[in-house]
Amino acid sequence: MELKYLFNSLPYIKPELILAASLVIIVVADLIITKKKELLHYIALAGIIAAGYFVLEQFSMNAFAFSSSGNKGMLTVDSMGAFFKGLVLTASFFVFLFSFSSNEINESRSKLGEYYALLFGMILGMFFMISASDLILVYVSMELVSLSSYVLAGITKQSLRNSEASLKYLIYGAVSSGIMLFGISLIFGITGSTNLYEINYILRSPETNRVILLLAGLLVFTGIGYKISAAPFHFWTPDVYEGAPITITAFLSVASKSAGFVLLIRFIKVAFIQNSLNGYWQLLPAVDWKTILLVLSILTMTLGNFAALWQDNLKRMLAYSSIAHAGYMLAAMAVLSNQGLIAILIYFAIYLFMNLGAFFVVMLISNKIGSEEIDNFDGLGYASPFLGVSFAIFLVSLTGLPPTAGFIGKLYIFIALVDAKMFLLSVIMVLNSVVSLYYYMRVLKHLFLRKAEGAPIELKVSFPNAVVLLMLVIPVLVLGLYFTPLVEFAKNSISVLGF
Amino acid sequence: MIEQYIPVFIVIIVAVIFAVATVVMSKLMGPQRPNSEKESTYESGLKPIGTTNERVSIKYYLVAMLFIVFDLEVIFVYPWAVQFKKLYSQIGISIFFSMLVFLVVLELGFLYVYKKGGFKWD
Repeated sequence: MELKYLFNSLPYIKPELILAASLVIIVVADLIITKKKELLHYIALAGIIAAGYFVLEQFSMNAFAFSSSGNKGMLTVDSMGAFFKGLVLTASFFVFLFSFSSNEINESRSKLGEYYALLFGMILGMFFMISASDLILVYVSMELVSLSSYVLAGITKQSLRNSEASLKYLIYGAVSSGIMLFGISLIFGITGSTNLYEINYILRSPETNRVILLLAGLLVFTGIGYKISAAPFHFWTPDVYEGAPITITAFLSVASKSAGFVLLIRFIKVAFIQNSLNGYWQLLPAVDWKTILLVLSILTMTLGNFAALWQDNLKRMLAYSSIAHAGYMLAAMAVLSNQGLIAILIYFAIYLFMNLGAFFVVMLISNKIGSEEIDNFDGLGYASPFLGVSFAIFLVSLTGLPPTAGFIGKLYIFIALVDAKMFLLSVIMVLNSVVSLYYYMRVLKHLFLRKAEGAPIELKVSFPNAVVLLMLVIPVLVLGLYFTPLVEFAKNSISVLGF
Repeated sequence: MIEQYIPVFIVIIVAVIFAVATVVMSKLMGPQRPNSEKESTYESGLKPIGTTNERVSIKYYLVAMLFIVFDLEVIFVYPWAVQFKKLYSQIGISIFFSMLVFLVVLELGFLYVYKKGGFKWD
């Protein structure tokens, strides 16, 4: 790679450069500011907003960056990437707002600098993951995300379960990234290239070794499946989500998952596509991705929903529910069409608000009562009707009932499935939603129908927290009724470079 | 397809057979007259000291990690310095500033470690 190409490509990674600069600024600010650590919150928010400004630019871009001698680059800048970058930034924006009032974070205030520096490292990694079109960069950016999140999962160091979460995450992560690297090495062995576009070009020739390619594809999927917590690779999710500080849990459940999904979309749509017919992707016959995704999606959603039924810890329950949601999105992916892709984009945008909202309410309540066990939530719906009702809205939306946004998300996945004549999968999805109704409503039963034991607990929501909560509740309600702008926006943002 | 890999499988099978056979055969056929000297742990011919699960102070890991950081710095700076004249004539002054940015970021890390007490041995 010539150095002058490197300099020419810098304008394409402006958001990433801003994020890297914010990381350095936060580390320096942490050293300079010794008394008022709260300032770091505002510096971090400013970094996010500045990066967001440059992400907006990228919606109209369509280019390779860091090209080697050929015309295919390490990075692709396209509107789908920009959409997901916006999603990651929105999620981080909310998580930073949560961090203001999280007890767990405030108790370890001396580590606030590291907390934000690592979060920025994670966001930076996600950005590269989203736009990577070279397997080496895919691996490196995934490691950047993973390494930051291992530390963040155990950042408070106060409780034993915190360290447990961190260690478990590290062990699972190390194994799955090793497996993924092996898959990448096999793909490189077959095709002689690490660039997804060149791999696609080489795989089109009939004499590729299908056995090895299937193995390699599955091994790479293991790494991605670990990031999106799809079924056979989900074992870390409940333990890590339960043990990690709740702000990190919320961030992992939305941002980390969305970055993993982009990787999956790019990997399948760029490396394995033959041609696109009426919006349906004709994949190369080498690997039967449709069946793989179909089976895994059914497995993921069923397992997530049924395991969630028995959970008494709310964080753990939300962890299993996030596995189930990954299953729904995998179902949309299995359609292998532009319509399915639009459904994934819509679902993610809605999932962001409802899932972050649910975690925020759990955080606000557990700040007060110091526990996330469902039995300790008895009667709390009346202690603060505002919190209780917003929690109800988020849970109804997560179930997928109208008039909330969750319904619209499920509806579009359903339409995509029915249009592709995948009736079995759509029926299983609806049945799964019915199962999920039970465990979401069980929380509401505890909140509103059970009497609290002992002295009534006072739950006051401070004004800033109320504003943040409203910022999450209003989209969930509005997008449930007036969703055309979101759908149009998603339709305009599905362009993946090259196809 | 799969036939191509038969040699690999043969190598794997031979490796397993060889490994198992050597251990089992020496057990079966070798003379076994153990005494306390033979049974003791081999530690370069010396008397063994302590257990194998020695706990190492975390300070050593810190030092090792910091060493890697500065080792990597040299790896980047050295080729840059050797090639500087050629790169300067090709690209211009930006090649100087790009290394400067790298070094500033790295030294900030150094400052961070210093301030947080990473170099304090006790």
